[in-house]
Amino acid sequence: MTPVVELDRVGHRFAAKGTAGTTAVADLDLAVRRGEFTTLLGPSGCGKTTTLRMIAGFLRPTSGRILLEGADATRTPPEKRNIGMVFQSYALFPHMTLLDNVGYGLRARKVPAAEARERAGRALELVGLSHAADRKPAALSGGQQQRVALARAVAIRPSVLLLDEPLSNLDARLRVQMRRELLQVQRETGLTAILVTHDQDEALELSDTMVILNGGRLEQQGAPRDVFPRPASRFVAEFLGYDNFPELPGRGPVTIRPEHVRLLPAGEREADGDTGLDGTVSAVTYQGAGCLVEAGIDGAGGPGAAVRCLHPADDLRPGDRVRIVLPRRHLVELPAGEQR
Amino acid sequence: MIAMIRTRPLLSLLAAAAFTLMLGPVAILIGVAFTAGDTLAFPPEGFSLRWFSAALDYPPFIDAFGTSLVVAAVSTVLALALGVPATLALNRGRVPGRRVVEGLFFAPIVVPELVLSLALFQQVMVGMRVTALGALVVGHTVLLLPYTVRVVGASLALADPRLEEAARGLGAGPVRTFFTVTLPVMAPGIVSATILAFITSLNNVPLSLLLTGPGVATLPVEMLNYVQSSFDPVVAAVSVLLLALSVAVAFTTERVAGFTKVFGR
Amino acid sequence: MLRRVPMAALLIPGLAVLLFAFGYPVAATLAWPPDGDPATVARETGSLLTDPYLLPVIARTVRVSVLTTAICLLLGFPVAYLISRAPARWSGRLLALAVFPLLLNTVVRTYGWIVVLGGNGLISRVGEALGLGRVQLLYTETAIVLGLVQLFLPLMILSCYSSLSQQDHRLEEAARGLGASAARAFRTVVLPLAMPGALVGCTLVFAGAVTAFTTPQLLGGTRERLLSTLLYSRVNVSLDWPSASAIALVMTALVLAVSALSGRLGKIGSTSS
Repeated sequence: MTPVVELDRVGHRFAAKGTAGTTAVADLDLAVRRGEFTTLLGPSGCGKTTTLRMIAGFLRPTSGRILLEGADATRTPPEKRNIGMVFQSYALFPHMTLLDNVGYGLRARKVPAAEARERAGRALELVGLSHAADRKPAALSGGQQQRVALARAVAIRPSVLLLDEPLSNLDARLRVQMRRELLQVQRETGLTAILVTHDQDEALELSDTMVILNGGRLEQQGAPRDVFPRPASRFVAEFLGYDNFPELPGRGPVTIRPEHVRLLPAGEREADGDTGLDGTVSAVTYQGAGCLVEAGIDGAGGPGAAVRCLHPADDLRPGDRVRIVLPRRHLVELPAGEQR
Repeated sequence: MIAMIRTRPLLSLLAAAAFTLMLGPVAILIGVAFTAGDTLAFPPEGFSLRWFSAALDYPPFIDAFGTSLVVAAVSTVLALALGVPATLALNRGRVPGRRVVEGLFFAPIVVPELVLSLALFQQVMVGMRVTALGALVVGHTVLLLPYTVRVVGASLALADPRLEEAARGLGAGPVRTFFTVTLPVMAPGIVSATILAFITSLNNVPLSLLLTGPGVATLPVEMLNYVQSSFDPVVAAVSVLLLALSVAVAFTTERVAGFTKVFGR
Repeated sequence: MLRRVPMAALLIPGLAVLLFAFGYPVAATLAWPPDGDPATVARETGSLLTDPYLLPVIARTVRVSVLTTAICLLLGFPVAYLISRAPARWSGRLLALAVFPLLLNTVVRTYGWIVVLGGNGLISRVGEALGLGRVQLLYTETAIVLGLVQLFLPLMILSCYSSLSQQDHRLEEAARGLGASAARAFRTVVLPLAMPGALVGCTLVFAGAVTAFTTPQLLGGTRERLLSTLLYSRVNVSLDWPSASAIALVMTALVLAVSALSGRLGKIGSTSS
């Protein structure tokens, strides 16, 4: 099956006066399959937006090829790529009604006016805004504008939907709600989608495939269920919230999530196969359902000497002696020799 | 407002002096226009509209008004036709040495208008045997170009560049994008630039001063010539007529501009 | 950014017109007047700068322009300030009132002064009433300054207003809350932040005053000549083209110098703040 979007060793280097330039994306290989929801995840500056804009055609790669539906589209201008782009700022045309906005792409494709109007109407219905079809964007709230931007991209039945941090401008609660609506629209239309975000919850909830980028390079790629419990590098682990990088004698770098660390009273022993260390509680932060407990490992020094644990009870105080347990199935090994 | 004036007496006094200076002479001129007498005395002697009919009966003024209108209209259109593409290129395209190019478009403001008038008279009217009307159009267009570039540019800079990307992403080629998205978004700026340019051209004196020919002169120049040779209140009457016209134009454009604001955002 | 080579091409018509209808004619006129060549112009410029009759003209032009700029700043800044702090209902109307003279041409705006300043004018009759005798202010340097101030006040007001209106009004309140008196708050908070607008205003007014023609012509007559009216007489009366070119050169140089200076001052201001 031909992937809908394929990146073959794609790179982009911004030329700056006098210097060698900044590499925004380096040597990226990516294949997105039909009907899948892929997210490009990473911190600011990791190259995810640059990659998306290259797929859209607003930026030309300085190396490599971009293939859309199997054909080399590296030099094709954006209007000929059949993409549906949703911008972070929505970019709705302020001088047109919602219906005209949504129908814009259809008119550009010379779809007959009646059919264009009908398809635009249906797209607006899909996002629940057909009652406002005659209003102008300025009259809408952020969430509503977002939906219109989505409808506009969906109406043209693109090969791929490209979403550039579409939910970043919304407040937290709205963001969660819109996330679900976005997923619903994608499922209903069956469109292939590539979404750029820095929010890992968004990526975990929406993706069929997560692609984590760092400094223009691909760090890890896979389904959320595969990536999340098994970060492949220290960067990914940190990005996903693995707050612990304890230094264990005789072992290479490892990491474990705070909710998986268990603290037993001093003297109790862990199960066979699990790693156990003696330690002392250094800080306790009450969080209602439990506590965030920080404990220092006996005999260890430096940054790898403390472990953070989400402890389900409020029975520990600084100074208490504990047995720190790192269950084997949750302890993740990281590549050796990584500097961070 | 009154509270503000009371708490800042010194500033208010200075401001009052400023307004008196700015508006006093104009108010006096309006008063003189309605005089029944023969001189520029103020307060005017009696009330009469005779100088208004005198103004409207004086062919050089009527001709000059026509010339001014034609020159203003043509140069405004030309300045827009040259300036709008230029500002598009400067704001949305990649232009090497952009600052320098922007500076070039503001060069006509730096050179004294009288100098430009002289230059156009010598090189274009005499040197290339172009008529006074042609030289006026050329000169005014050059003069208005910085205004159109600057005003339209300001409105373009405020607009979201993503709008054009959105159009392109949806399948619109560059030409369609321009006419359906870029131009409407620039519309308020273009309207402002048009009004500003038209008024600037209509009121211009130094540039138009030397660009005269048989029967060809702009109204302000004609007025200036008249004032230097006679001291009757005719020019006052012309001034009042012009004032009435300007105010009328200002009010209507306020309506229209208000309309475009609703239309645009 | 959409990378399109053709986009820069949109500049070509404008630049072409600038070159052929502006750049070339001005350069040609300044350097190659009829009856002359660059050498003649250079000579005339030299004599302009040293001739005891002509030098005062330059001095007068600069003096008048500086005075105009200073008075415009003194009177215009308060107007801009009050408008920027006025309640919304008033600010629009006041601004319109300050700016509407720009709708009229210079002849109209200056002509009123002839009525006020003339031998039979208002000032004169007031002076008579006060026992000062007939005061003839027309055709004096004072008249020119008055006329130019009236002309350029709206420009100064607009420039200052653009800076002042952008300021957060809470800044003054913050200063007062910290214990500063109204005067101190004004001096230490409002004024410095309004500098950029004021600087632009001064540059525009000075450049305008140096190159103004109509007002000095109407109010200064043949007695008080400025560079612009001198240029006009050289062109219309004596047909002395090389001299005209020399005067034009000096005028242009003055304006360029002021623009460059204000650009430098603007940069200093922004780096220090």
